Amino acid sequence: MQNVRHRYRLWLIGMMIFAALFVSARLSIGSWPMLATWPALEALHTPVQWWQEFSLWFSDKQKLQADYLAFRKQAEQQASLIQEANSLREENRQLRSILDIAGITGYRWHAAKVRGRSPETMSQRILLQVHGVSKDDVIVSSEGLVGVVDSTSAGHATVRTIFDASLAVPVTISGTSLAALARGQGESLSIDFVPEEFVLKSGQVLYTSGAGGLFPPGIAVARINSVTNVPGELFVKVSADPVAHWQRDNWLAVASHLHQPKSQPQTSP
Amino acid sequence: MIAISIALLALLGLSLNLAFSTSLTQPDWAMALLLAALLARRHNWIWVLPAIVIHDVVLHWSVGLSSIIVALAPLAMIYFDQHLGAGLPQRIVLMAIATLSLLHWGWGATAMLLTLCLCVPIWHLLTGLYAQKTA
Repeated sequence: MQNVRHRYRLWLIGMMIFAALFVSARLSIGSWPMLATWPALEALHTPVQWWQEFSLWFSDKQKLQADYLAFRKQAEQQASLIQEANSLREENRQLRSILDIAGITGYRWHAAKVRGRSPETMSQRILLQVHGVSKDDVIVSSEGLVGVVDSTSAGHATVRTIFDASLAVPVTISGTSLAALARGQGESLSIDFVPEEFVLKSGQVLYTSGAGGLFPPGIAVARINSVTNVPGELFVKVSADPVAHWQRDNWLAVASHLHQPKSQPQTSP
Repeated sequence: MIAISIALLALLGLSLNLAFSTSLTQPDWAMALLLAALLARRHNWIWVLPAIVIHDVVLHWSVGLSSIIVALAPLAMIYFDQHLGAGLPQRIVLMAIATLSLLHWGWGATAMLLTLCLCVPIWHLLTGLYAQKTA
């Protein structure tokens, strides 16, 4: 009798634990536990940094000089690009004021160091060391779109990459009227709402359209993998891979939204 | 003392997984340590279960299959011990199932194999330590 009661209790405890974990698995806890690990990650990266600095002492002088000259050339090129971007920004501002287009937010670009990545084959979450960012700022690599900032703390931020199913990016192909959505599927992307009349080929690159105002327009997002026509459906089934490969990048760029101050309401006399 | 050491090492492993996930092929250090502790002594579930939930939440932002399997493992051990008698094969099966649950999160095959390879010696070591403690 006692054995039966013991077995009954065992099954009951098992079912309760299973139910509790199943319910909590349906809820997303958020990124703050990953964000809380930044002191440990900083501590682990410190010896690596020391080693890199120490190894410079044994580098060949000529190699260091060549590196220095290459970086200086790169910096000069970057400076001229910044000048060009500034003049274009000013021109854009003037055109906007002439056309009276209001409400379009600008972006401030800055660099962020990658401190941690989730360990899946295709990292879906990233921890960055960065200052002055806020939730929903856009993360970009040198190749294309990476994701958006999910949470921030003092000097650090977590990033939800475009592989995450909760993120939908409005995309288009330049020179067309295509307005589709790129959605994360874990290890690939699916492109939704592509009408049948658009002839897409594998290898074509989709760019952010800027619709919705979250993502700056013109950033490469996905390269089409396969296009399948589904009989009876309005839209074709498109599978794609991200253009950016953030698994190896040590630095990423952050596009922070520059929120325009709201215009003062005019007081009637 | 063993529990605290394993929990701290698991925390270190978790940080290693996050810090060097793409530069080194690594096992799931925390999973291997916690699973080994559970297999060595099923009463350890009381601290292993919260630790595995923390593991899932830190690495994957939600509780998943690995927590559910680790939660059910001690109950399966009690059931198997009652019906088949205490033995290694059923524990090895449980270890393999728990490691395979990493597939759900998208871990690579090499990382899973490394996790298994790490789990076995730690399990052996902990079993010895617990036996010494009771003796």
